[in-house]
Amino acid sequence: MIELYNVSKRFGDTLAVDDISFTVPEGKFCALVGTSGCGKSTTLRMINRLTAHTGGEIVLDGQAINAYDPVQLRRRIGYAIQDTGLFPHWNVARNIATVPRLLKWPAGRVRQRVDELMQMLGLPAAEFASKYPHQLSGGQAQRVGVARALAADPYMLLMDEPFGALDPITRETLQTMLSGLQARLHKTVVLVTHDMDEALRLADHLVVMREGKIVQQGSPLALLQKPESEFVNALLGGLERGLKQASLTRVRDHMTPLGAMLPAHSRIPDRYTLRQALSVMLRDHCERVTVVDQHDVPVGELSLRKLVKKARPEKDDASGS
Amino acid sequence: MPLGPDALPAQDKRRFARGFMPAVWLGLLVLAGWAMPLAESLWQWVAPDARQLVYQRATFFTLLGRHTLTVGLAAAITVSTGIAAGIAVTRAPGRDFMPLVAQLASLGQTFPPVAVLALAVPALGFGLLPIVVALSLYGLLPVVRNTIAGLQGVDAAAITAARAMGMTAGQRLWRVELPLAAPIILAGVRTSITVNIATAALGATVGASNLGDPIIAGIVNGNTAYVLQGALMIALLALGVDSLLSVWQRHMWRT
Amino acid sequence: MQPCPNRVLLSLAVAMLAALWGLDAVSVAPNRIVAGTGYPLWQAFGWPGAGLATLLPVVMAVLATYPVRHRDAALLAVSVLLLALMPFGLMLAAHGWIKPGMPQARLSLGPACWTVLFLLSLCLVELRLKMRLARSAMALWLAGVAGVWWLCAALWLEPLALVQEFQARSALFYRALGEHLALVGVAVGTSIVLGIATALLIRRFSVCQPAAFALLNFLQTVPSLALFGLLLAPLAWLGANVEWLAALGVSGIGWTPALLALTIYSLLPVVRNTCIALEAVNPAVLDAASGMGMRPAQRFWQVRLPLALPVLLEGVRITTVQAIGLTAVAALIGAGGLGDFIFQGLGQAAMDMVLLGALPIIAMALIADALLGALADIFRREAIRQGDAL
Repeated sequence: MIELYNVSKRFGDTLAVDDISFTVPEGKFCALVGTSGCGKSTTLRMINRLTAHTGGEIVLDGQAINAYDPVQLRRRIGYAIQDTGLFPHWNVARNIATVPRLLKWPAGRVRQRVDELMQMLGLPAAEFASKYPHQLSGGQAQRVGVARALAADPYMLLMDEPFGALDPITRETLQTMLSGLQARLHKTVVLVTHDMDEALRLADHLVVMREGKIVQQGSPLALLQKPESEFVNALLGGLERGLKQASLTRVRDHMTPLGAMLPAHSRIPDRYTLRQALSVMLRDHCERVTVVDQHDVPVGELSLRKLVKKARPEKDDASGS
Repeated sequence: MPLGPDALPAQDKRRFARGFMPAVWLGLLVLAGWAMPLAESLWQWVAPDARQLVYQRATFFTLLGRHTLTVGLAAAITVSTGIAAGIAVTRAPGRDFMPLVAQLASLGQTFPPVAVLALAVPALGFGLLPIVVALSLYGLLPVVRNTIAGLQGVDAAAITAARAMGMTAGQRLWRVELPLAAPIILAGVRTSITVNIATAALGATVGASNLGDPIIAGIVNGNTAYVLQGALMIALLALGVDSLLSVWQRHMWRT
Repeated sequence: MQPCPNRVLLSLAVAMLAALWGLDAVSVAPNRIVAGTGYPLWQAFGWPGAGLATLLPVVMAVLATYPVRHRDAALLAVSVLLLALMPFGLMLAAHGWIKPGMPQARLSLGPACWTVLFLLSLCLVELRLKMRLARSAMALWLAGVAGVWWLCAALWLEPLALVQEFQARSALFYRALGEHLALVGVAVGTSIVLGIATALLIRRFSVCQPAAFALLNFLQTVPSLALFGLLLAPLAWLGANVEWLAALGVSGIGWTPALLALTIYSLLPVVRNTCIALEAVNPAVLDAASGMGMRPAQRFWQVRLPLALPVLLEGVRITTVQAIGLTAVAALIGAGGLGDFIFQGLGQAAMDMVLLGALPIIAMALIADALLGALADIFRREAIRQGDAL
């Protein structure tokens, strides 16, 4: 658990972060969003004391971060950044092993952990372990960056626009991978991003910042349903808010059992979101689609009428699925 | 250049050949030192009028040893102080001194080594000491300059990452910054040493015996054979050490 | 207002104080061969002189520690004042220690004076960087100081060893200076023409580029001393056997081998920097030039060359500074120049004579470096200005 109480950061005469408070419970995923220069990266860097906060209090695992030794604190917090910051003189395995080696783990345990992480992040050890960072693609380098951040099983994970420099397809693959990891590992994560879709997709809790202040925070759904200011509305895509809301709900939660009617021609997998279902309907000029499971077996159907009605999610959806 | 199917093996072959260059040059150096007295007919042709054809006052291996010692001493001083200074001015407490040291490094190269040597003699007397001091001063500048450039050129993201991983300042320096700057630092060391091997010959003018002796003796007596003998040894030594350092530089961590 | 102390100048001032009190300020010798006796600060300049010499660095230290208005300017003024007062201190010492009955006696600057001179030049460098003074402004200050020194040396500092050395052979000195400058000028001029031509040829026939660079690099590993020596025999032979060359003055020793060796040595930096300069021009700019319909020749003369000029000048600067030093070595083969004083002085163990050769060489190198650096700055600014106008 990480708690921020009335935290501020002053650089000379400017107040980069102004009296912000939020809490990320154990195992939850929090996204800090806002335009560039709003203080979100500074907030992140204050958590692992790369930047010292000048006011308020930050509490990690029940203890103020200033009570920790900064070096020990940072070894307990994973950190992944947009530029990856991989060490160019070390190969992938050595890069991932950075923190375990700093913690003086025995060699066998380090090797085992590295293999485990490489497999978890979809980097076959045989192919990648001895490659150097300059031999990797952007997406692969970022996977290594995330693996390195997770290496010593940290208490929590900080990510500063980790996927910001990637092409849309790679970005989406890595987002899927990250949410899968999060579902498995239940790490407390704080992610900084300016990509609202990414934030909505990954986070349990959104913190919207502007000029060093928090303008609104809450669950993605709460923000989408009730933006408190024009700024938040614009950030959430204005008129496209409906679509974004539809993208928070999965088809499998709202399909109807297969009826007596002939199955519709268009098929979509049940893990798709309502937004994707709508897109398929628009593409195929139909008002009904067949929902299939991972083995391509029809398991239900979804009509446009149902979609429009259900896209207004019910209460139990608020936790996100 | 078109990349055919043979391009890679050829490149490998060239790399392999380059790995052997130091051995070739240093082998030639030893061979030259040994064969020098045997090649009388060659020297006869070079210097028909000379009374004595091969430099006799000391063996070439003795001179080579003294030459290497002189340059080695200077290099030890240069490398240790130069890298230390470069590290000091790139740390937070020493950063104020950075502009001065950087400026000094470029300014110092304008001091001609002969003049530095000449100024060192009144202060230190004749012999090994003034030439070592002059060479150290002259060789310091490429090392300092390249150490600063190398450390400043380290990717800022890598340094941030190192801090965020929980590396202490010392661990950052030794595990990340210095290894990453090493190829550039080594390039500076290489320049410094190669130039100094040639410059050390000047030591013969202030009574420090080395491979410059035959050259000076040859100039004084008008004996080209002596000059050629000294020059050959020095050139081979310089080429050997230079190629050795260049192989090391290439094998450092870049693949 | 500067909030924090200037730690660089503070440490320099402290070092100056340590040097002033820990080392001998001047040394006095009965004649030019015997080693002198050293005298510390208070004995050399008397207590008032020592007090003033101590006060100025203390003022510098205080100024460097406390934030006052126009701190850097005040520090610059104090440094220059200290530099300008030094010859007067030497006059005091001469008055005190050189008796009229000893015409051979001479006064030399002690280690303390040399150290303070060195530290003061560091102060000036630091202040120039801090205040972002133009080269010309600094040159003006230094010219003023040099004027004071020159005046004192010419009028009152006869017992100073360097002055005695100079007066004993002033005609020789001017001739050596002339020879030195001529050798450097001709060698650098020739190597610029040849070097640029070689670089253009290498670019045209890029196949031989590695070989050309290997050869030039090899030539640099041959010690300058040896290159001078190696040219002795072939040139002596040419001078003896080819009449028209002999008539031109070609011979084994003297200016011919020196000029040849200097030119060969100067080629590498010129060729290398010319190649680098021409390659480094932004390809987008060249593309744009072609795109606007420039012919290759037009593109070269109107775009590539002007943009490459500052880097090319860098090569000329390196070459010139290097040649000034190497010409001193050329004295060993009878080429003349200021190196004569160095090697004669070393031979006679007359260190003041060595200084008479070495100090002007260093001064020439520094002046050439500054002038060519300034020229490169001008060209760079010009290139940017033209770029803006486009």
